[in-house]
Amino acid sequence: MSSGPGGETGFPALTAAAAEAAVARRRRRVSRQGVTRGLAPYALIAPSVVVIGAVLGYPLYLLGRLSFQQFGLAELILQQGPWIGLDNYTRLVHDRQFWEVVLRTFVFTFVNVGLTMVLGTLIALLLTKLGTAMRLVLTTGLILVWATPVVVAVNIFRWMVDFEFGVLNWTLTELHLGDFLNKDWFADPLTGFAVITALVVWGAIPFVTITLYAGFSQVPDELVEAASIDGANAWRVFRDVTFPLVKPIFVILISLSIIWDFQVFNQIWLIRDGEPEEDYWLMSVYSFVEAFRLGEYGFGAAIAVVMVGIMFVATFVYIRQMIRIGETR
Amino acid sequence: MRRRYIGALALVAALTVSAMTAAVGSSSPDRQNATKIVIWLQNDAESNWSSVVAATNQSFKARHSDVEVDVQYQTWGDHLTKFDAALAGGNAPDVIELGNTETTRYMAARLLQDITTQRGSFPNSRTWLGALKDSCTYRGRLYCVPYYAGARAVIYRKDQYKAAGIRSTPKSLAQFRAAGLKLMKKYGKQRNYSALYFPGRYVWASMSFVYDYGGKIAVLRNGRWQGTLNSPQAIQGLTALKATVGPLSRANKTGDEANPQQALVFAKGRVGSFIGNGWEWPYALDKKDGNPALAPKMGAYPMPSHIKGKFMPTFLGGSDLAVPITSRNKSLAYDWIRTFTNNTQMRQLATVGKVIPNTTSLASLHARNPQLAPFANAAKASWFIPTAPNWVQVENARVLQNMLQSIFTGRSSVQAAAKRASDQITTILNRRT
Repeated sequence: MSSGPGGETGFPALTAAAAEAAVARRRRRVSRQGVTRGLAPYALIAPSVVVIGAVLGYPLYLLGRLSFQQFGLAELILQQGPWIGLDNYTRLVHDRQFWEVVLRTFVFTFVNVGLTMVLGTLIALLLTKLGTAMRLVLTTGLILVWATPVVVAVNIFRWMVDFEFGVLNWTLTELHLGDFLNKDWFADPLTGFAVITALVVWGAIPFVTITLYAGFSQVPDELVEAASIDGANAWRVFRDVTFPLVKPIFVILISLSIIWDFQVFNQIWLIRDGEPEEDYWLMSVYSFVEAFRLGEYGFGAAIAVVMVGIMFVATFVYIRQMIRIGETR
Repeated sequence: MRRRYIGALALVAALTVSAMTAAVGSSSPDRQNATKIVIWLQNDAESNWSSVVAATNQSFKARHSDVEVDVQYQTWGDHLTKFDAALAGGNAPDVIELGNTETTRYMAARLLQDITTQRGSFPNSRTWLGALKDSCTYRGRLYCVPYYAGARAVIYRKDQYKAAGIRSTPKSLAQFRAAGLKLMKKYGKQRNYSALYFPGRYVWASMSFVYDYGGKIAVLRNGRWQGTLNSPQAIQGLTALKATVGPLSRANKTGDEANPQQALVFAKGRVGSFIGNGWEWPYALDKKDGNPALAPKMGAYPMPSHIKGKFMPTFLGGSDLAVPITSRNKSLAYDWIRTFTNNTQMRQLATVGKVIPNTTSLASLHARNPQLAPFANAAKASWFIPTAPNWVQVENARVLQNMLQSIFTGRSSVQAAAKRASDQITTILNRRT
């Protein structure tokens, strides 16, 4: 059951499990009758379907229904709103601010996912080169970052970039990089988003790094060695040997990161003290403000539905990749 | 990873909460013989006149020994979001304190109990402050009981003024600015010193400049609301505001007056003056968070207008007490309000809390007290927000805060920021809700 010849990449455990499952299936086919055989898979999957339906499907259905209703404060109390068809969506399409927010969300996601993947990959590669002691230190650090609750992380970052007492302004000034005393990082959304991006990427790196490191360590040493002997430098080895082998992991991590970063809410909401300026609105924030601050629950729901739709596309890529991994092994 | 999934689900779930309750919450169990009333008061009461609340509860309990009173303190930032959710969920409080700018929306939506017929049973109902009574009245019906009012004045350090060579308190905006520059010259070398501590998102003090120059936030024309912050007068006011605050304040341009509490920043010593409510004076002297040693060095005067000898209009803020229609203990709720607003408690509220009591019959309390008189004087010239049912949504969307921040950080010109805010206000106020 050791790692097979070159063609069989990575995951020996997975391959073995699949093989066993296939054997089991065959055996079952011989011994059981038709009806039971037909129903068994459905019976097995039923509990998950029920749970997913209850905690995800039903709320989603309600969200969708809400987005077709006029639903404000009065309707909230009456607990029913009149059906207004696509009005909320029509308003959305003609809302200039909505398109600004969508564009901002896309750019934010792109930058954050990009930085997370690049830095995560670099740190994972570093992990493969480190000795045991340093690897332990770095891994512990990563786990600690991962274990830090968002609320705590936001408060730490807020203090670091505080305009009056922040360590960042102090350090930059002490380094004679200019006068940063009383520099307010959130006065300009560009520097404000730099802080938020640092916070989000910082929090996302551990998962990416540790997963990639696990992937990298599955790459057979012989392949890397062979490539080096053939004269490939580190970059060539990564591009032509390591990367193709762990590509499925990359695809999964990227689609997961997109799903996460696309819906960032807590970090922005908390770092701007529960009242983010319009320049800081991403789709999640916009939806929340419309629904819960302005009492436009129907309109807020429509924004959320659009968000869910966009997210489904990203999830689709993720799920397809998962299925494909299952098939090819 | 799981943590972030939960975050994602939380948003979707949050958005569907209202719909969920629509489906499951319609059959509310009728809890008879309830022995508990829930009161939502703002945290100002907790930090400044908790003794009044305690005395009220004691007196109330003396009459209703079987009733438990649960006072829950709320913050201005999110109490309405919570209130809306509580209304939908059927667990709204029996008594809620609402800011006088927040009542119209709830009165218009008929979510507060109409108390017109019981009016006479509330203490001092004949002499309630006009401005507060108005904020409780919608289409001729009464929906809440005035609680207290507050006016802002300049709270300052007498010792610093003297040391900087400022002989008398400023009588015009120009003099105020000149005095501020003297303070900056004397103390400005200290990092973080502000002659006038004025955070960028301080709406209530900022809008006074607009009204001082004859501007308004919005007006009602032919049944339609029109944002007017981009009128020439309002622009003039906002420009004067920027010219005053810019050189005199080193406060956070992206923060507001409550985070951190400006009175406590003042107590730390590196502030010459700030524009604050009456209750912020004693708050600066708080034994735990403030600095009691400042007591003999503090003074207050009404903010001067750009016209010499006049006062700048101050925002007449205040709070009312209402009973949501969902309350199942309305008569107990009324009785608690009656106890809380009777003469004994109002007198305490005025002297301990340093706020303007809900009745004109106690006005003399202020005239005689040097710590209260400047605020009572300032209240003689006042302005109020547009009384549109949707006004509170302008507050909830932080339209004015965002405009001020853009102006103070220089992110947009006064004109551009005012135009944008004005358009937003027009849209929000005319929305059908």
